[in-house]
Amino acid sequence: MADDVFEPKITAFVCNWCTYAGADLTGTSRLKYQSNVRIIRLPCTGRVDFMLIQKAFARGSDGVIVSGCHPNDCHYTSGNYHARRRWMVFNDLMEFMGLDMRRITFSWVSAAEGAKWATLVNEVTDHLRELGPYTEYQRLLNAGVA
Amino acid sequence: MDVLRNKARDLLAQGQVQVVIGYEAGTSGARRPSFARSEADAARLMWDADCVGNLAGYLTRPEIKKMGKAAIVANAATLRALLQLTAEHQLAEGAVLALVVTEEGAVLELSNAQAVTEQVATLPSSLSAADREKLERLMALSREERRAFWEQELQRCVKCYACRSSCPMCYCGSCTMDCNRPQWVPVASHELGNLEYHTVRAMHLAGRCVQCGECGRACPVGIPIHLLTCYAEESVRRQFGQPAGTSATLNYALGNFRPDDQESFIR
Amino acid sequence: MSRLGVFVCHCGENIGATVDVTEVAERCKHMSGVAHAEDYKYLCSNPGQNKIKQAIQEHQLDGVVVAACSPRMHEPTFRRAVSDAGLNAYMCEVANLREHCSWVHQKADSTTEKAVDLVRLQVEKVKRNKPLDTIQVPITRSALVIGGGIAGIQAALDIADSGHKVILVERSPALGGHMAQLSETFPTLDCSQCILTPRMVDVSRHPNITLLTYSEVEHVDGFIGNFKVAIRKRARMIDEELCTGCGECLQKCPTKNVIDSFNEGLSMRRAIYVPFAQAVPNIPVIDTEHCRRYQKKKCDRCAKACPTKAIKFDQKDEILNVEVGAIVVATGYQVMSTDRFPEYGYGTYPDVITGLQFERYASASGPTQGVIKRPSDGKEPETVVFLACSGSRDAAKGVKYCSKICCMYTAKHAMLLKHKNHNAKAYVFYMDIRAAGKNYDEFVRRAIEEDGVKYIRGRVSRIYEEDGKLIVKGADTLLGGEPVQIKADMVVLASAALPNHGQGELAQKLHVGTDPYGFVAEAHPKLRPVETTSAGIFLAGACQSPRDIPETVGQASAAAAKVTALLSRSHLAREPLVAEVNRRPAPEYSTCTGCLLCETACPYQAIGHEDIKDRNGNVLKTLAKINPGLCQGCGTCVSLCRTKAIDLHGYSNEQVFAEIMSL
Repeated sequence: MADDVFEPKITAFVCNWCTYAGADLTGTSRLKYQSNVRIIRLPCTGRVDFMLIQKAFARGSDGVIVSGCHPNDCHYTSGNYHARRRWMVFNDLMEFMGLDMRRITFSWVSAAEGAKWATLVNEVTDHLRELGPYTEYQRLLNAGVA
Repeated sequence: MDVLRNKARDLLAQGQVQVVIGYEAGTSGARRPSFARSEADAARLMWDADCVGNLAGYLTRPEIKKMGKAAIVANAATLRALLQLTAEHQLAEGAVLALVVTEEGAVLELSNAQAVTEQVATLPSSLSAADREKLERLMALSREERRAFWEQELQRCVKCYACRSSCPMCYCGSCTMDCNRPQWVPVASHELGNLEYHTVRAMHLAGRCVQCGECGRACPVGIPIHLLTCYAEESVRRQFGQPAGTSATLNYALGNFRPDDQESFIR
Repeated sequence: MSRLGVFVCHCGENIGATVDVTEVAERCKHMSGVAHAEDYKYLCSNPGQNKIKQAIQEHQLDGVVVAACSPRMHEPTFRRAVSDAGLNAYMCEVANLREHCSWVHQKADSTTEKAVDLVRLQVEKVKRNKPLDTIQVPITRSALVIGGGIAGIQAALDIADSGHKVILVERSPALGGHMAQLSETFPTLDCSQCILTPRMVDVSRHPNITLLTYSEVEHVDGFIGNFKVAIRKRARMIDEELCTGCGECLQKCPTKNVIDSFNEGLSMRRAIYVPFAQAVPNIPVIDTEHCRRYQKKKCDRCAKACPTKAIKFDQKDEILNVEVGAIVVATGYQVMSTDRFPEYGYGTYPDVITGLQFERYASASGPTQGVIKRPSDGKEPETVVFLACSGSRDAAKGVKYCSKICCMYTAKHAMLLKHKNHNAKAYVFYMDIRAAGKNYDEFVRRAIEEDGVKYIRGRVSRIYEEDGKLIVKGADTLLGGEPVQIKADMVVLASAALPNHGQGELAQKLHVGTDPYGFVAEAHPKLRPVETTSAGIFLAGACQSPRDIPETVGQASAAAAKVTALLSRSHLAREPLVAEVNRRPAPEYSTCTGCLLCETACPYQAIGHEDIKDRNGNVLKTLAKINPGLCQGCGTCVSLCRTKAIDLHGYSNEQVFAEIMSL
């Protein structure tokens, strides 16, 4: 890792049945992607409390990925639909509060979309590298610690 | 005003209710909550254009509940809060008698959710024109300007929780803020903790906020904190067409979904 | 302080070649709460698992992280190993160093760094794991079968033969379904009634089967192993105990002009009737919509004729509440109403009929005792045209799918016509002949080659009447679209098979999914074809999609096998990863406020409420209550709960929070 290249810290919240399995498929297909992402496995996107996203940023993440089953494919039939609705309001509110929504990526990656996962992580990583560290949030952290 | 006082007196005298929650004259010309439990108390009750506070929050307090059956002098926001509290099973249907003073000075007695629902349907939105304009002005700013605005405002927050205490929908006995296993939100009033607290409050009121503005009025340092919850509620109305506080059987917008909900932001 | 063990797997070269496994193990030793860390070539092997077991004993570990392949691969393996060593199985977590790290990244320090992070994440999680026990749900060891056609009959018999009680509900007055209406069956041409009737009798005599005909499912509550079903037993106006089935009443009924639906409207029946001669049960029903007593308030001729005084004019519907552990849906199909085809003139031309009507004509017990006649004048038709794919594979006017059974029964119909009237001419218009199945293609070839049925590949554009004949205009696409015109005496439409009427309402009552056409959806199209999307509810036959008798029977037996497997246990073990509402000391009882906004968010209707009462029965507080038997552990309610009163075992707030904070 060269010193002058910024390596973003990315936290991903994924559902067990689609995206986690899809990321497994990326592995079994030996597709390569950048190693900045850390996956936190949850049963369903319905379990993704907006506070988890908040805490990931509070812990210094430069970006967050939330990913689960495509509509209609939810292992729990409708957890992803509930999640989607919550994100609709959360996004809107974050926008209103002036937070940088380019830092959050919502996605559907199915258990068969190993390639999509690799592309997604690479694109998000590259984009965050361009954006640079999430200083406007991390500044708050430092204020908090002080 | 006499009609209201007489009505309150009669209700108390006949034992129909044990307490009438209303407004009385406060210091420096303001109105303050009044809890009339005797015929003499009833004489203190007031009603005028300054009675803007939402009193519904008192109805879920244990100490008020202990007083017995309550009547409440209700403005539009109070009526909406009554419905929303009923929808959330915090008030039993018909447990509270709402007293509405009409423009002509008559007092309507609304004894059940249906009567309240019908009354609410005739009323304009609780969100004041001034607040609506503020929301629009903020939305017209750039993201950075909005961030700067809220950063500026929220850094003054001392986390006294007056907003939470004044909110009729913040009836939870044990708030997320009080949860320490894990400690979701830092206790201290620093910038991160303040931002997290107000985000959580707005998200928790999305689809539930009756837009009374009580939290903004309660803030001792004058942060227009009600704009966050009002905006979250507006977001729900705009996207799902479900205004909170219009029905005692309202389905919580975030506890439901439509398969064709917006999807364009998801990759 | 935890005493955790971390075991890092090389997976041969799979992890070891990219991640510095020894370094990872070394770094883990310094993580707080880790008492032991080691690496090994293949942890999933027997010696590997033994290493974990030994370490648990030796170091008195209270939790384990295995850093290896995906937990979707070997989590059960390692949890079993941990459990063998005396720890609770759920005190083990797996860090995914292979699929999520070594296989997707190049060998680099950053890859090893990520591996350490992935382990730390699980270390922080497992510190907060709680021992969990599998949930034992008691099972009511009986089954409900909905639908008394061949699918329901077969499923009921198989379940009953395995020693379990079965309730078989059929909404019409008699068992048999569509199979009872059929004349002969393909590809053997044995008579449908002859093979079906003994099965119907078996059902009625089986000590383990309770047969409820003229009954419908009213309401369903509960979950796998514990369904509570309300069944409406409609009033037949006959005392079933007293009735001997002598039939005296049937002869005396003065109302003789009720359309006979069993004969597909080709004949009339009386107001008191048994659908067909071999009906099981052989007990009549009074059709109150047509009976003079109910319509005109007089007439009691049937009651007078009854030697056992079994007729009870004031009988009322009964609601029977039953408890069962499993449900089989076998509600069958209906055929598309052919008045949706104006170009085929149904409704205007009585001699254009459906395949099911042809079955009734061809049946020895049908309205013409098996002589093929045409409805308009009762003459035996000389030229009959059969139209396959009437409504099927027709996205514009009908349904997109293939109804599957029509190719075969059309060949059979043409064959039966030729067998009954050697001089008759049979023409079949078809799109493709789909005759896949044992002896099926041979059967169609026989119709063409031995019985001389003329097959024309093409569709019919129009049918109209002229001089007492039906003029069928079509095209022969094998001859380059050459126009074909046939003067026919009768036309038979192989109209599309559709979900049975009332299927949608029933699916809603059962909370089972349906496909876009309205057929009951299977849990997995290939691997779970007889299970529905609701646990404990199975399906059989044409309610899933059109199918023939052999396939239906096979599927019914498969569903019965699934039911039998479920009912063979007294308890059902479920993964304990379910949501739970917290409890606190009085007077709070729980941080739950009882707002119940979570109720509608649950995809499984697992959330209800419970009242906390004092000793005098006064309600102190109402809380949400999650039924662990129904909860599947998605956690949607958890993220909705404002007071964090609901938590999810295995993915608790503390666990996930600690994972985030470990990064």
